[in-house]
Amino acid sequence: MFTGSEILLIITVMAASAVEAVEALTIIMASGITHGWRSTWEGASVAFFALAAVVGVLGTTIIHHVDIDVLRVIVGTLLLIFGMQWLTKAILRSSGFKAMHDEVRIYEKEVEELKKEKHIRHGKRDSIAFVVSFKGVFLEGMEVVMIVISFGLSNGNDYNRLKYAALGAAIAIAVIAVIGAIVAKPLAKVPENTLKLGVGIILVSFGMFWMGEGAGVKWPMSDVFILILAVIIAATTFGLIGYFKRLHNLMQHEVHLL
Amino acid sequence: MKILKSIWRFIKSFVLFWKDFLVGDSPELALGVLIILGVAYWLHNSGVWDVVAIVMLALILMVVTVWRKTRVHR
Repeated sequence: MFTGSEILLIITVMAASAVEAVEALTIIMASGITHGWRSTWEGASVAFFALAAVVGVLGTTIIHHVDIDVLRVIVGTLLLIFGMQWLTKAILRSSGFKAMHDEVRIYEKEVEELKKEKHIRHGKRDSIAFVVSFKGVFLEGMEVVMIVISFGLSNGNDYNRLKYAALGAAIAIAVIAVIGAIVAKPLAKVPENTLKLGVGIILVSFGMFWMGEGAGVKWPMSDVFILILAVIIAATTFGLIGYFKRLHNLMQHEVHLL
Repeated sequence: MKILKSIWRFIKSFVLFWKDFLVGDSPELALGVLIILGVAYWLHNSGVWDVVAIVMLALILMVVTVWRKTRVHR
């Protein structure tokens, strides 16, 4: 059976992967509709296997050759950077300072741009479709790979965590792919910002904890302190959203008065 | 010469990809995290101060980054 920490690991990786998979799906759909599905699926599949290879090769190499403290510093630093990036963007979106991620609008823009591109064929393959879907899946997936590797390797040479993290990502990608295939349009109703907010809080909490531990910091109450960190980060996040939302509304009001 | 140019182009695009991936449009975040890491190493034997410093610096970094990004709109 899974432990509490393993369940949290799987849920976090699933949520992070779902966000990126929704964005990749939008690109795949735009490419498939404008330039044909065959090359689009080929590009997406090659990118998917390339990402899986990165997880397998990089993950196992790191497990065998990197000292646990060095690993925790690298993992913690990466998670803290990604987490802060996700969290600040989510705060700006929730408070109104940044437009919400609109998959339909992104899809329409992408379709418009791809329609302008000529069909470049090599045999049965459309190069534009292949490259666009490969790049879309590879770039969106790279962040997932980093999260899978970081969470999966946090306990040093414990292969199970890496397997569970990869499993979480695979489940999320499969679910989004199936839903995408059924509804055949961009998934605009997935609450991307809420997911980013939740995942951001978890990434920052784990990132701080592992980075500190790798640097030699002795956290009070050991692993339980991650929960306290999560509460502190969540409270600050919602405080910032409240403050900047008020500021944004005030600015809108002033603009109306002018 | 042609090979050298291709290698140089590859290295350049590789570095740019990772710079864009890790730093993106928020260089202050990457720099701030590195400062937190430095402070963690510096204070790791100081009792409770290392914990307080890491948490406070992370929160300050979050607030400053959001503040800076909203300034564009004000």
